Amino acid sequence: MLKTSLYQEEAPPSPLQQTWLEFSKSHAAFFGLLCMCFFVLVISFGPLITPYSPLEQNTDALLVPPAWTASGGIDYMLGTDALGRDIMSRVVYGTRVTLGISLFLVIVSMIIGILIGAFAGMMRGLQSSILNHLLDSLMAIPTLLIAIIIVAILGPGLINSMWAITLALVPQFIHYTRDAVRSELRKPYAVAAKLDGASKAHMFRSTIFPNIIEMLVVRGTQALSTAILDISALGFLNLGVQAPGTELGAMLSEGLDISYIAPWSIAAPGGAIFLMILSINLVGDGLRSALHNRFLH
Amino acid sequence: MITYILRRLNLLLLTLLILALASYWLVHAFPGDPVANLSGVSFITAEQKAYLDQYYHTDKSFLNQFIRYLELLWLGDWGKSFVSGQPLVDEIATFLPASIELGTYALILSLLFGIPLGFWAGIKHGKVSDYSILSFSLLGYSVPVFWLALLLILFFSLQLGWLPISGRISLLYDIPQETGFIVYDILASNIENKYEALVNAASHMLLPTISISIVTSTIIMKMTRHSVIEVLSSDYIRAAYAKGLTSRQVLLKHGLRNALLPIVPQVAMQFTTLLTNAMIVETIFSWPGVGNWLIQAIYQEDYPAIRAGMLAVSVLVVVFTVFIDLTHKVFDPKRMHHRRVKN
Repeated sequence: MLKTSLYQEEAPPSPLQQTWLEFSKSHAAFFGLLCMCFFVLVISFGPLITPYSPLEQNTDALLVPPAWTASGGIDYMLGTDALGRDIMSRVVYGTRVTLGISLFLVIVSMIIGILIGAFAGMMRGLQSSILNHLLDSLMAIPTLLIAIIIVAILGPGLINSMWAITLALVPQFIHYTRDAVRSELRKPYAVAAKLDGASKAHMFRSTIFPNIIEMLVVRGTQALSTAILDISALGFLNLGVQAPGTELGAMLSEGLDISYIAPWSIAAPGGAIFLMILSINLVGDGLRSALHNRFLH
Repeated sequence: MITYILRRLNLLLLTLLILALASYWLVHAFPGDPVANLSGVSFITAEQKAYLDQYYHTDKSFLNQFIRYLELLWLGDWGKSFVSGQPLVDEIATFLPASIELGTYALILSLLFGIPLGFWAGIKHGKVSDYSILSFSLLGYSVPVFWLALLLILFFSLQLGWLPISGRISLLYDIPQETGFIVYDILASNIENKYEALVNAASHMLLPTISISIVTSTIIMKMTRHSVIEVLSSDYIRAAYAKGLTSRQVLLKHGLRNALLPIVPQVAMQFTTLLTNAMIVETIFSWPGVGNWLIQAIYQEDYPAIRAGMLAVSVLVVVFTVFIDLTHKVFDPKRMHHRRVKN
């Protein structure tokens, strides 16, 4: 067969391409990625597709069941709640709040955590040992518990719960970054860079960071699903987003009172949280095994 | 070994001291008079104020105050609740056992399901049963626990009417409270229809326990599966097969122990996650536990109760963690050796 390339050697795929090749081999992970893309589309273009405002109340259509039931109508795809608000619009806006805030929080805590973790990893001696032990005991406490305690101190509210979740997530990133930096520092290529006379800052930036970022992204997906769970749990407990605000967890707790006559009012927001977390977990697991397999080859 | 235990205990003491310090800081950080936040007396007259100042040493230096605070914590005087006026230690002693009880049953249930299923999946690695267990576990740990609890209520309590929605036991039974663990209290009490009371308590417990343990058992399943796969691909398993043992013998004699030992601490650590989930589920099922109580305290801005609840829950979690770590070290010194080599 005629080869279009003149040269015999094949260009080896870059590490990123290899990861993608491994990742797309898994159907489940790919499905998760598609789901995640869908949710990202929803939070970007949500207001364009929702038929109603999330707060618009229609007293003529209280507790309308979803469209596929006998008494439902096409006006309200997923039905309405006790105040006649369209559930589909509310779920879309709720997803915007829940997923948007979680993404923001994870990125912020990742940046803070990686910065502190890098310092801790490059540093030796007493300070790092104290940090080590403190972090170990902090890691053992679930983030949601930390978040509830912080909200208890700061008082309920969206901003306070955002602070709480950030403060609960940062120690994890510090821990992971520090461990990763430590284990990379021991490898020969890091020693080689050190012998070349690289400064600590330079070494972290150009030698270690490129090698640990993928692992940190995997941790980031785990943190994202934790953040979504935590923020919706706080919303559900009325400690996060307050009453008229649309957040999936808060919607669930509103639907609690009418769950017997209108089960769809808790099925829709809960299902949205579930699908979001599921897709993120699928992508996270897929990425992790893709990275794992890439190193095997 | 001894130095290790001493170091861990030292660290435990330090952590507890930091927690106490944090809770003392809260006294000042919460709005209102620090003395009111300490004692739980909301309206203080001038003479009461003078007495309380002397009692809590609030007129002295900070170090002096803090030492007095530690002393009172130790003596069991944690102040009173703004809302109920009851001593907080008594309130916590009533509510905490209910949470621990719920958490313990859920942990047992998830062990009973998680470990065998995870083991099965690990043995059948790469086969259909492995994949189906794996996908089930993925579904299980993605589901938000409060939504799951709602769905269970909707189906089993409202649709089918099999199980009660809320509470711990029917109000018809008057169980004198002794330890706060309901099963023990029923058995220890001298009421006439003990058996019916037990059945009633169990039916109240079933839904909350299941909704918490589904999430935990899927995590345990994943950990067991991973560990089994790792052990089964190791050299000594191959050696055991080469020796001519049947797969049953290999699994029972070499696989089981070595696969389960490393996950014991990880599994035990799930208790803290479980306790957090229990705190949420309690509010749904009106289970009279510490989570429900703490969240009510947050709504009502009952600052002494928030401080005491936070202290109690975090101390419980930290002490539990250190305890698990120590017991694991005693039973599995190999891991400690590893760690020494690594450092």
